[in-house]
Amino acid sequence: MLFVSLRDLEWRRRRFLIGVVATGLVFALAVVLTGISQSFINEVSRTANAFEADQWIVSEKALGPFTATTMLNANLVDTVRKDPGVSGASPVLITRFPVQGNSLRDSGVIGVVPHGLGVPEVVDGRTIERSGEALADRSMHRGVGKTFSIGGVQFVIVGRTKGVSYFAGQPTVFLTLDDAQKLTVAGQPLASAIVVHGTVTRPPANTHALSNADVIKDLKRPLKAASGTIDILRVLLWIVAAGIIGSILYVQAIERTRDFAVFKATGVGGRALAVGLAFQAIVLAILAAIVAIGLSFLLAPLMPMPVETPASGFILLLVVSVVIGVLASLFGLRRAISVDPALAFGGA
Amino acid sequence: MMPTAVLDANLKVRDLVIEYSSGGYPVRPIDGLSLDASAGELVLLLGASGCGKTTLLSVLAAILTPTSGSVNVAGVEVVGLRGSALTDYRRSTVGVVFQAFNLVPSLNAVENVMVPLRGAGVGRKIAKERAKALLERVDLSDRMTHRPGDMSGGQQQRVAIARSLAHNPPVVLADEPTAHLDYIQVEGVLKLIRELAEDGRLIVVATHDERLIPLADRVVSMTPRAEPTAREPVRLELETGDVVFRQGDPGDLVFVVEEGEIEIFRTRDDRSEETVAVVEAGNYFGELAPMFGLQRSASARARKRSLLTGYGLRDFRDRFDISGPKVLTDAAD
Repeated sequence: MLFVSLRDLEWRRRRFLIGVVATGLVFALAVVLTGISQSFINEVSRTANAFEADQWIVSEKALGPFTATTMLNANLVDTVRKDPGVSGASPVLITRFPVQGNSLRDSGVIGVVPHGLGVPEVVDGRTIERSGEALADRSMHRGVGKTFSIGGVQFVIVGRTKGVSYFAGQPTVFLTLDDAQKLTVAGQPLASAIVVHGTVTRPPANTHALSNADVIKDLKRPLKAASGTIDILRVLLWIVAAGIIGSILYVQAIERTRDFAVFKATGVGGRALAVGLAFQAIVLAILAAIVAIGLSFLLAPLMPMPVETPASGFILLLVVSVVIGVLASLFGLRRAISVDPALAFGGA
Repeated sequence: MMPTAVLDANLKVRDLVIEYSSGGYPVRPIDGLSLDASAGELVLLLGASGCGKTTLLSVLAAILTPTSGSVNVAGVEVVGLRGSALTDYRRSTVGVVFQAFNLVPSLNAVENVMVPLRGAGVGRKIAKERAKALLERVDLSDRMTHRPGDMSGGQQQRVAIARSLAHNPPVVLADEPTAHLDYIQVEGVLKLIRELAEDGRLIVVATHDERLIPLADRVVSMTPRAEPTAREPVRLELETGDVVFRQGDPGDLVFVVEEGEIEIFRTRDDRSEETVAVVEAGNYFGELAPMFGLQRSASARARKRSLLTGYGLRDFRDRFDISGPKVLTDAAD
């Protein structure tokens, strides 16, 4: 009986296409939101991993280097280096400033020791060597050789990093530790953390050691509300999609009441009718999902936030679309199954 | 070539009563019908709209459950069929040709005929071959890929007939098969229906079209003939509460109130009563049922000791000026 459903879809192709496009757009928005939500997770891990730290030493009151407001003495690095479990250590100063590049934009500003630990991989140009030089992430959209200013102090971009951002896509710039200390703490020898290679057996007094996983967890925390909101919006979009498919199928079931009555009167079982309608819903939903995948690639670059939809997100979309299709067809199914075959009799 | 139906295609209907609710009132279009028909016969259910022809077809098609009585079609007791037995009956024992063709507009002729076959799990290839053979049988070889919208009414009806034969049923039911056809199209459809009976099937046709009578082996008149009849007047002496006739009874007499008072009332679904009119001495009531061959649409009973005279329709017309005082009790509204 599936051929009857396919022919019906052909027959009502204009409405069907509108349904596919409308549902596809809703699905695409859900995919983009999935990508944004995923980018929150990805960027946090990417940024923390960019330091290639095994451990982070922070003030004992700090939950993590990126969210800490308390600092520690940068000179503690000497004590840490002497620890037998440590093969290398460098202080870093992590803060935020409005950075004037192409536009004024809040950015992460990280001070690192040139050629020390915590200097990220450079994808364009070279790493920083001296005061006044900076690495900028590509998400800042400012090329090598260009300048930007922080609090009136100009820096030259000598190299670029890729994917180092946090707090929902805020780009990050890397300065020398000295420059960062001058901007932030009037040149005092303070740091947010000491990045460690190896394992500290005994952290210095008034400090504690965090693993990279602890730092990632801490960095995700401020995004929890945003991620939760996105998840709710995503569920709402699935519901809207189900509503679109459901209403199309329901109207279709109403219009086909006489057909269903005839089918029943001629001995076609209710199950065959149900399968036929569910099939239509699934076809609509899967085509909408395919449209959504294409649309999501068009929409992603338009988003101010990074969109990083994982392959699993597309697979999930196809699975969810089938589930939504089946659920959405339930009202139509109910109507089709409850049609009285006696309606087949009587005039037109 | 389509195989000939060789199954037991006899029909036995006994004491069939069908009652349903219409607008809050119980309606009994069929009351105590018994009917026999045999394989190879073309039975015509003839009557005006609302007389119960289509209702009877619905019962024979196992779509409507009667209030009481028994129906045996091709050896199958129809009343009480459930589940897969019901589906099997609808699928294999009866084929139905609907009044408005009821073809699926998105499907072409072959696909429309394939629907009952595919719905029964017949393979696509076999279903298609069978559908094509059936369409050839109804002379539609050149319209197989046409959709209903691209066919004339007669062609659509022939597709509907082919569909009804999909499972080679021993019984075919046709509801007003000529209702939407012009006289040119009617001829081909009637010829085809007659041929179906000659294949050994039992064909039951519900119609109000008297042109079909010569085709039929048996005509069942579903409406009492509204002929003015000559019969002696009947005098009725009634005590308070005596009933003259009941709602749903066949109507043959028109009553004139000589003395007393008659209450005309209707019974609702919940068995409560609703007074429609009170007929006093000098007035008459109950003329519409005999005049139009309808059942009584209300009941009549004496409100006090009364004397009535009941007249046949012809006698009533001869004696009374119908434009005079009256109460139209059979259509009191």
